[in-house]
Amino acid sequence: MKQNTYRRRYLINFAALLALFAAAVVIGMIGGSTVKLKLTPSIWQCSYLIIMAASLNLVLGFLGQLSLGHCGFMAVGAYAAALFSLALQRAGFYTEKAGPAFFLVLVGSILIAGLAAALLGLLVGIPALRLKGDYLAIITLGFGMIIVNIINNLPFCGQQGLGQGSASSALYATGLGFSNDEKMRYLWVSVLAVILCMTVMFLFVRSKYGRCIRAIRDNEIAASASGIHVSYYKVLTFTLSAFFAGITGALYACCNGALSTSSFAFTNGSILNSVFIVVMVVVGGMGSLTGSVIAAVVLFLLNYTIKNGGWVAALPAFLQNIFTYPMLVYSIALIIVILFRPRGIMGSREFALCDVPKWPGWIRTHFTSRADSAGKGADTHA
Amino acid sequence: MKLKNLLTLFLAVCLTLSLAACGAKTDAPADTSGGSAPSGSGDAPSGNEGDAVTLGMIGPLTGSLAVYGTHIEKGVQLAIKEINATGGVSLSDGAHPLAVETKDDQGDSTECVNAMNALISDGIQLVVGSATSGCTSAITSVANSEGTVMITPSGTADSLTTAMDYVFRTCFRDSFQGELAAQYAKDEGYTKVGIVYCSADTYSAGLRDAFTAACGDKGLEIVAEESVASMTEVDYTNQFNKMVSAGAELVFTPFYYDVMGPYLVPQARSVGFTGVLLGADGVDNTETTIPDGADLSVYNNVYFVNHYSTELASSGVSADFVASYEAEYGETPNNFDALAYDAVYVYKAAMEACGASDATSVQAALADTSAVYDTTCGTFSFDETGTPIKDGVLMGYAYHDGDAGVTKITVKAVSLS
Repeated sequence: MKQNTYRRRYLINFAALLALFAAAVVIGMIGGSTVKLKLTPSIWQCSYLIIMAASLNLVLGFLGQLSLGHCGFMAVGAYAAALFSLALQRAGFYTEKAGPAFFLVLVGSILIAGLAAALLGLLVGIPALRLKGDYLAIITLGFGMIIVNIINNLPFCGQQGLGQGSASSALYATGLGFSNDEKMRYLWVSVLAVILCMTVMFLFVRSKYGRCIRAIRDNEIAASASGIHVSYYKVLTFTLSAFFAGITGALYACCNGALSTSSFAFTNGSILNSVFIVVMVVVGGMGSLTGSVIAAVVLFLLNYTIKNGGWVAALPAFLQNIFTYPMLVYSIALIIVILFRPRGIMGSREFALCDVPKWPGWIRTHFTSRADSAGKGADTHA
Repeated sequence: MKLKNLLTLFLAVCLTLSLAACGAKTDAPADTSGGSAPSGSGDAPSGNEGDAVTLGMIGPLTGSLAVYGTHIEKGVQLAIKEINATGGVSLSDGAHPLAVETKDDQGDSTECVNAMNALISDGIQLVVGSATSGCTSAITSVANSEGTVMITPSGTADSLTTAMDYVFRTCFRDSFQGELAAQYAKDEGYTKVGIVYCSADTYSAGLRDAFTAACGDKGLEIVAEESVASMTEVDYTNQFNKMVSAGAELVFTPFYYDVMGPYLVPQARSVGFTGVLLGADGVDNTETTIPDGADLSVYNNVYFVNHYSTELASSGVSADFVASYEAEYGETPNNFDALAYDAVYVYKAAMEACGASDATSVQAALADTSAVYDTTCGTFSFDETGTPIKDGVLMGYAYHDGDAGVTKITVKAVSLS
C-alpha cells in the first residue's frame, strides 16, 4: 500500500514536470512580442534565481552552514562558460547560434561552468568547513570578494573577452550572449536545466547523503558519534552546491549579453547578490527546496513588476514613493514573513501536488498543532 | 504575542513610510520640473497624447551611481521641456511634442536589459541611455536585434558603437581622450613624458594604450611607465620616485577623482615631482575629494581632458543651455546634464531631417556622417561607428596663497591637429 502511494506520487510529479517542459517548448515556439520581450527574459531570470536559491539551501538549510559568498561560484561559472564558448567561436567551431554544433557548445559551457565552480568549491570548502558559525560566514564572505577581485584582474576576462582590460567593465560579444530571439529559441534549455537540477537536488536530500547532512545540521557531535564522516559530508554538500551555482552562472551568461563582476558582488542594487540569495532561502524556508523555488519566483516577480508592471502606478501617490526604493519593499516583505512565518513560507516542508486535495485539512492541522507538524520534517512528503 | 507582532509590523511600516516621505521631499524638484511620462505628455502643447513622440530613458536613478542617472534625467527633461515650449518636433506630418518614459536600471546590467525590453514592448523606438559602459554594453545587442535606436550620453568604452548599427553616443570614446592628452603635451612643448596607470582597469589601460600610441606618432618620448594594482590604490610614491629619476616633465595619470585628491597628487608632490599631472575625464570632481588641512598648492599644475566646460560656453546653444539649466534647477550643469541634453537634441535634428520618428528612418538619418549637430559641446558629426568627432576641453586646478580653496579652471579647448 505504502509502496503504491509513493509510486503514484512520483508519477504525478513526473507528469507535472513533463507538462512544465512541454509548456516551455510551446511558449518558445509560439513567440509574439509580449512573450519575447517580457515572458522569456523573465523565465530565464527566474530559472537562474531558482537554482541559485535551491543550491544555497543545500548548504544553509540542509547542512546548516551559513555561506555568504554564493555568488562567487556563480561568477566563476559565468566567466568559465562565456570564455569557453567565446574561445570555440574564435576557433571557428561554430559561427551562428543555432544548429547541433552550437547546441554542443551550450551544453558543454553549462557543464564546464558547473565543474569549474565545483572545483573551486572543493578547494574553498576543505579549509573553510573546518570553521563554524560566524567564522565560516566571514570566510565565505571574503571568498566572494576575492573571486570578484581576481576576475577583475585577469587580463583574459577583459572587455572583449580573451582580450586585455578589466572584467569590472564588461565582457561583451560573448559566444553565449543570447539576443531576445535566441532566448526564446533556447527557452526549453533553461527550463530543462531547472528541472534537472531540482530533481538531482531532491534526490540528493532524500538519499542516504541527505539524511546524513541533516543529522549533521541537527547535532554534529551525535552525527559524528553515529559514524558519519562529518567533514566529508560537509565538503561534499558544499561542492555540490557550488556545482549548481556554477550552472546558474552559465545560464546568467546566456541571458545577459554582458558580464560584469559587480553583478556578483556581496550586495548591489539588483536582486542578484550573495545577501539576497540568503534572503530568498530564509523567506522560502530553510530546508525546503520547493520553498526556495517559491521564494525565488515571488521575489523576482516583486522586483520585476515594481519596475515594469502597471500596478505601482495605480497605487495612491504616497505609497508610490516607497516603490521608488524597491529595497524598502523587500525589507517589509522580509519583516512580514519573519514575523508571521518565522520558519519561512514553507518551513521545512515540501510542496507536493498530491497534497493539493488535502490542503484544507493540512491547513487545519497546521494551525491547531503547529509544533507537531513542524516536527514532522520534509521526508513525510514525497 | 500576536499583538506584539502586529505592533512590530506597524512600526516597521511607519519607518518605511517615513523614509519614503524623506525620499519624496529630496526628489521633489526633479519631479515637479519635468515629471514622469504621464505628466510630461500632459504638459505637451497639443494635449493629444497619441501625437507625442515618446523617448525612452534608462539610467541608474537609485543605487551607488544615482548621481549619473539623475543628472541624465534632468538634462533630458530640460531638453524636452524646451523643445515642447517651441512647438515640438516638426515631422513630415506636422509638429509633434516630445515625451519621455523613464526606467531605473540601478546600475545593474540585468535590470538594464529588463528596462530596455519593457520600453520596447511599450512601443518606444528611440532611447537615451544608459550611463555606464557596463550597462550600455548589455543593451546594445537588444537595440541592434530589435531595431531600436539608442544614444548613450556617457558610455565611453571604445567597443560600444560599431559601424552600421543602432547604437550612437554623444560623448567621445576613451581612446580619443588619450590622443587629446598627447596632443596637449605636444602643443605645450613637452618632450619627456611618463605614465602611471592601472593595467587591470579597462578605462585606465585603454587610455594608456591610446596615449602611448599617440605619443609615438607625435614624437614624444615616454621615459618611464609604471602600473598600480587597482584603481583604488592608496600609495603612489614608488611610481613617482621613478618618474622623478627618469626626468619626466609631464605624467599621464588616467585615474578617477576618488584617488587623485587624497593620494595621488599629494604623494607625487611629496617625492619631488613638480611637473604637470595630466588626467582624463575621471579626474573631474577632484576638488570634492581634497582632504581637510591638505597643502592646497600641490594641486596646481593638475590638468585633465574633459567633455564640456560651462566657461567655454561660447556658442549660442551652449550659453543658452547653461542659462536655462541654471534657471530650471538652480545649479550649474555637469557633463551628464549636457551630454543627455545633447542626445535629445540630436534625436530632434535626426527626426526633422528624415521627417519621421520610427527607428529605421532615425537610424538612417543618424548614420549619415555628413549631418552636423550643433550641441552644447560645439558642433560635431558622427563618424561611421556613431561616435561624435568633436573637440575636448582642457581643465585644471589652481590655488594661490590666500584663496579659500582650490578652484577648477578651464584652460582651453583642445582638438586633434
